[in-house]
Amino acid sequence: AAVLISPAQAAEKVYTLKLAETWPTNFGVFSEPARRMADLANKMSNGRLEIRIDTANKHKSAFGVFDMVRAGQYDMGHSASYYWKGKVPNTLYFTTMPFGMTATEQYGWFYYGGGMELMQKVYEPFNLMSFPGGNTGVQMGGWFQKEINSVEDLEGLKMRIPGFAGEVLAKLGANPTNIPPGELYTSLERRTIDALEWVGPSMDLRMGFHKIAPYYYTGWHEPGTELQFLVNKRSFDKLPADLQEILTTAMRVAAYDMTIQSYHESGQNWATMKAEFPNVEVKSFPPEVLAALRKANDELLAEHAANDELAKEILDSQAEYMGVVRQWTDIADRAYLNSFE
Amino acid sequence: MIGITMFFVALVMLLIGFPVAFIFGGVALWFGVYAEGPDMFAFMPFRIQSIMENTVLMAVPLFVFMGIVLQKTRLAEQLLESMGKLFGGVRGGLAISTVLVGALLAASTGVVGASVVAMGLISLPVMLKYNYDKKLACGTICASGTLGQIIPPSIILIILGDVMGIPVGDLFQAAILPGAILIGAYIIYILIYTFLKPEAAPALPMDMDDGTRKQQVYKALKAIIPPLALILVVLGSIFAGIATPTESSALGGVGALFLALVYRQFSWKMVYESAAETVKVTAMVFAILLGATAFSMAFSYTGGEEVVEHYLSNLPGGAMGFLLLSMLAILILGFFIDFVEISFIIVPILLPAAEVLGIAPVWFAILIAMNLQTSFLTPPFGFSLFYLKGVAPPQVRTLDIYKGVVPFILLQIAIVISILLFPEFYGLV
Amino acid sequence: MFLLRLEQTINAFSDWLGKISAVLFVLMLFNVFYDVITRYLFNDVSIAMQEMEWHLFAAMFMLGVPFTLKAGGHVRVDLIYEGLSLKKKAWIDLFGVLTLLFPFCLLVAWYGVDFARESFELGEGSGDPGGLPYRWVIKAVIPFAFFCTFISGVGLMLRAINTLNGHHKSDDYIPTQH
Ligand code: NA
Ligand code: NA
Repeated sequence: AAVLISPAQAAEKVYTLKLAETWPTNFGVFSEPARRMADLANKMSNGRLEIRIDTANKHKSAFGVFDMVRAGQYDMGHSASYYWKGKVPNTLYFTTMPFGMTATEQYGWFYYGGGMELMQKVYEPFNLMSFPGGNTGVQMGGWFQKEINSVEDLEGLKMRIPGFAGEVLAKLGANPTNIPPGELYTSLERRTIDALEWVGPSMDLRMGFHKIAPYYYTGWHEPGTELQFLVNKRSFDKLPADLQEILTTAMRVAAYDMTIQSYHESGQNWATMKAEFPNVEVKSFPPEVLAALRKANDELLAEHAANDELAKEILDSQAEYMGVVRQWTDIADRAYLNSFE
Repeated sequence: MIGITMFFVALVMLLIGFPVAFIFGGVALWFGVYAEGPDMFAFMPFRIQSIMENTVLMAVPLFVFMGIVLQKTRLAEQLLESMGKLFGGVRGGLAISTVLVGALLAASTGVVGASVVAMGLISLPVMLKYNYDKKLACGTICASGTLGQIIPPSIILIILGDVMGIPVGDLFQAAILPGAILIGAYIIYILIYTFLKPEAAPALPMDMDDGTRKQQVYKALKAIIPPLALILVVLGSIFAGIATPTESSALGGVGALFLALVYRQFSWKMVYESAAETVKVTAMVFAILLGATAFSMAFSYTGGEEVVEHYLSNLPGGAMGFLLLSMLAILILGFFIDFVEISFIIVPILLPAAEVLGIAPVWFAILIAMNLQTSFLTPPFGFSLFYLKGVAPPQVRTLDIYKGVVPFILLQIAIVISILLFPEFYGLV
Repeated sequence: MFLLRLEQTINAFSDWLGKISAVLFVLMLFNVFYDVITRYLFNDVSIAMQEMEWHLFAAMFMLGVPFTLKAGGHVRVDLIYEGLSLKKKAWIDLFGVLTLLFPFCLLVAWYGVDFARESFELGEGSGDPGGLPYRWVIKAVIPFAFFCTFISGVGLMLRAINTLNGHHKSDDYIPTQH
């Protein structure tokens, strides 16, 4: 017998999506966006959209999220775009770039400066959609066993710093070094390496780096790390239009919420660190070093742009946008902050 | 419930004697496909790749190779025999030496498979040669090979530090005293046991023509120093910042070849044969890891975790009651869930309650770490037992190993209880 | 006789994998040693060489699994097994190979092919500065090694069949010896 489904019943159909995170269980503020998004989507859809989250402890493949979402083993992922640089080089530009935009500037670029369109252009061939997934804000430059007073001090510096930032440092003679996370503490303590880059105050203090390294350098290489919601396009297309809208809205709100939560927690953690560990010496690279790093960075980006048309389009778009919006940041934020000095 | 059924089916299947690795894998396959369809196994390559990329695990083949070279060149045998003789008339000298060497290896790696297998290769043949009771020999090796869990650097402490938000350095420091006491307890147990049961661990025969006691000591020291120096170089390279803990095991492997060269036992044939043996032992260990990852995948994707979470979310009792029950739960779960899973899945469930009850986090972490160490030894699924079986000579049966570890498990439980009752003594509160 | 010869051929193949693994191990040992020495003495680090460590390590143990199966090195719980007759052991191996080992190895190998192929199509390489290209090679080791373990399992199956046919007289079960 034919079963008749009324339109009302059809509207009540529950869609279940599975989401894989790159992060382990309880990974501080990184664990928030996926959960908040799932919760929002579920409530806004009156229970019609259910999103189940698996952490890296369940799927055991932190950096397999791209492949698993692409193949449809998961419908969604929560990760960061620059992790896929080895697979799709142009994904590098949608997280954060050394000497690039701040979180606010970058959100402006994503939503009003053409960033989203360019990101879709990169992900589309892989049957994927990518959305901003929350921003950590400026990340610290890392823990150092020795002071960096000149470009020469970078020569031979053994530092755990993965990805593109490592490439920039390598151009100035530093030695990016692979160390498994479990051995970072011992390696920095025993000076097997001279420096390392981790996340920011909250995660860094958990690792105890402040007990073994005297210098904590301010950031230059990740001015606003944007996480990412990855969505399998087929899974997305299967959703009715209203649920698609609910899902995108939930992702956008969750990303925004993590950005402010991260700002809040960084502030709290910084205060705690200053109070409890007054011996940690906070330093910035001298202007000479920063200038050299910038130059190396620009040269590398020029190479990227020369090698790939889409890379050029993205980098030009970012540079152009930043050229405009940074003037406003200078007049607004910087001038305001300067008024306190 | 599928997870629980799967566990019992695997248990029964293990008994038929087909290789453990493929029982884990095969049972996971049938239950996984039944519950979720074959596509669940599309996750396997990802999980396997995570094992392949886990460079900390490189310590397994590297230490195994060091052990095999030391064994082939008879340097390990001389080391243990000489240490045993140094203990003179003391019975159980070889077993005590094994504990001490195990403690040294533990201080350079946190990978249990690495030290159990290396110790199995180095000291089991020697103990058997001198007619040690098989059970005592196996228990001693499994227990001292598992010390790497609690003695820093230790993977479990790093994971717990991460999960519980405690600086790793604090945990490393806190683990030293309990670890030392555990070593002491092993030694005291061996002394008492061999005093009561002399035939279990004969004192090494002293050759009459060996001269005076002084000369004997001198001779023994001469045999001890080179291999011991090798182990100290491994440790020293970590402390001097020359190598990471994992890399230090490669220094051990190359150093063992260097010793072979010095003692004129080096040949490329020997290197090749040792490498082939290393491959066999390493593949045995990793096949178990491959099967186990399929097993834990099927367990968690069929909802096994939720069942466990449900039972743990509401443990009753005050601070002491909570601690006792949670330790008991972890001990039981340790029979069949991997320690990494326990740290990441079970500990976060227990943590909020622990905080409310005002239990010091470092204390709680050390208790959990000690407890998880025990899970490596608990029959029938304790991985240390499989690893030792994999390298043991034919006359050693699974049952010898199972029986042998029981007293050491009891010792560990006793120490966990002492930490539970007297945290002040261990400086944990 | 054909089955006996086939068993021997497969065994030779498994031994050959063992030889490759042994060479991979020696390369890995000196690779790690080299990396430590150049970093400490010459302050020089190569990400490519560091990545080569785990490439060698992974290929070594993955290809070691089929070799170890043939060599009888995989651990068995022998509480009951050790006391059984030759034929009963052969039946257990036959049963285990057909119901556990074959399906497990073939299914993982099957999914491993797609896994490696996607990496090949993307031209995947390391994301770290100066890292190794051609990530598909090491990923392809997964289906390859599992397929080889299946082949080695066929050898074990043939041995069981040949034993049941009375071709292997002595108790071939020798627990691993070192
Ligand atoms: Na250790
Ligand atoms: Na266990």
